[in-house]
Amino acid sequence: MTAGDGPVGEDALPDRSSAEPVGRAPAVRPFLVTAGRVAGTGTGPPMPLETQVVATAPGIEKLDRLTFERRDIVALCRQPQSLAEVAARLRLHLNVVRVLAQDLESTGDLAVYVPRPEAAHDLSVLRRVIDGLRAIPDSRETTP
Amino acid sequence: MTPTTTAARDRDPQAPDSRPPLPVKLVIAGGFGVGKTTTVGSISEISPLTTEAAITEVAAGVDDLTHTPRKTTTTVAMDFGCITIDPTLKLYLFGTPGQERFGFMWDDIVEGAIGGLVIVDTRRLDDCYAAVDYFEHKRIPFVVAANAFDGRIEHDLTEVRWALDIADQVPLITFDARERGSVRDALLSVLELALRRAES
Ligand SMILES: Nc1nc2c(ncn2[C@@H]2O[C@H](COP(=O)(O)OP(=O)(O)O)[C@@H](O)[C@H]2O)c(=O)[nH]1
Ligand SMILES: [Mg+2]
Repeated sequence: MTAGDGPVGEDALPDRSSAEPVGRAPAVRPFLVTAGRVAGTGTGPPMPLETQVVATAPGIEKLDRLTFERRDIVALCRQPQSLAEVAARLRLHLNVVRVLAQDLESTGDLAVYVPRPEAAHDLSVLRRVIDGLRAIPDSRETTP
Repeated sequence: MTPTTTAARDRDPQAPDSRPPLPVKLVIAGGFGVGKTTTVGSISEISPLTTEAAITEVAAGVDDLTHTPRKTTTTVAMDFGCITIDPTLKLYLFGTPGQERFGFMWDDIVEGAIGGLVIVDTRRLDDCYAAVDYFEHKRIPFVVAANAFDGRIEHDLTEVRWALDIADQVPLITFDARERGSVRDALLSVLELALRRAES
C-alpha cells in the first residue's frame, strides 16, 4: 500500500527557470464566498498557514454535490497540502480558505490537521529538520 | 504515521484521508528586491507560490493626539515554497515583504515559526530594520543574511552589524540567494540557532 508516501503533489512540477511566483491570489470576493464570515474572529488565533488539509473519502464521494470553491478545495486536497497552497493554487484569499476549510471539516468532507505550536521548539523535530537539510545537495540533480 | 485501513484506501493508492506530514516553517523576511523569492525558489521542491496574507500596520501617528497607534490591516503578497524532510515532516518557507515607515505585525504569518532569515542587500541596509525589530520583539530566533549580489557584498560584515545595530548573539552571514547549497547553509544556521535556544 502506497498511500501516504507522497505528501508532495504530483502537480508539483515546477518550471525552475523562473523565479517569479505563480498563482497570485486576487483579493476579491472574499465576503461573497464565505457569506460575510471572517476567519480568526472566533475563539483563539486563526489556523496557521501551514495547517494541513486532506480530503476525506466521504468528501471525495460527494464531490459532485459540492459547489464552487468547496468542490475545488476538496478536489485539490486529494493530495494533503497546506492552507497556503490551497489559497495560492485556487487563487482564493487565505482567510476565505480558512473559513471554508472549517466548514468542510464540520461536514466531514475535509480533515484539518492544525500543527501543535510546540513543534517549533521540539528538539527532535529541530534535529530532524537539520538532518534533512544537510542531506540536500549543492545543486539540483539534472532531470533526464 | 498511523495508517488507517479504510476500504477506500485499499482500493486506491491515491486515496484521500492519509495522514499528512507535520508542517513546520521558517520565515524569510526583508525589503523589496533583496532576494526572498529567489531564496525560496533555489531550494523549494515546488516553484514558489504566491498568496495574499493580512498584515497589521501600526501607523507611526505623530499627529495622533490620542497616542493610540492607528492599526490598519493590509493585504500583502507572500511567496512560499516547501521542502519534504521525510514523509512525516515538511518544512515550509514563507517569504514576507518588509514595509518601510510602519511598525507592522506579521503574526498571521509568523505564529509558530521555528525562526527567521532576514535577508539584507548591503547597498540598502535600512530595508531590513522592520524585520529585525519584529523578530527581536517576538523573541523568534533569527539570522541576518547578506545576499551577495554578484558574488560580493558592499560592506564588510563588521560594518553591517554596526550599521544595523544588531546584538552580538544574532548570527550574521553572507550567502548567495541563487545557490541552492548556499541557501541550504543559511537555513541551517537558523535551525542550529533555534536548536541551541530550545536546548538551553
Ligand atoms: N545578481 C544577483 N541577482 C539577484 C540575487 N538575488 C536576487 N537577485 C535578483 O534580484 C531581483 C529581486 O529578487 P527577488 O528574489 O524577486 O526579491 P524579493 O523581492 O525579495 O522577493 C531579481 O531580479 C533576482 O533575479 C543575487 O544574489 N545576485
Ligand atoms: Mg518576492
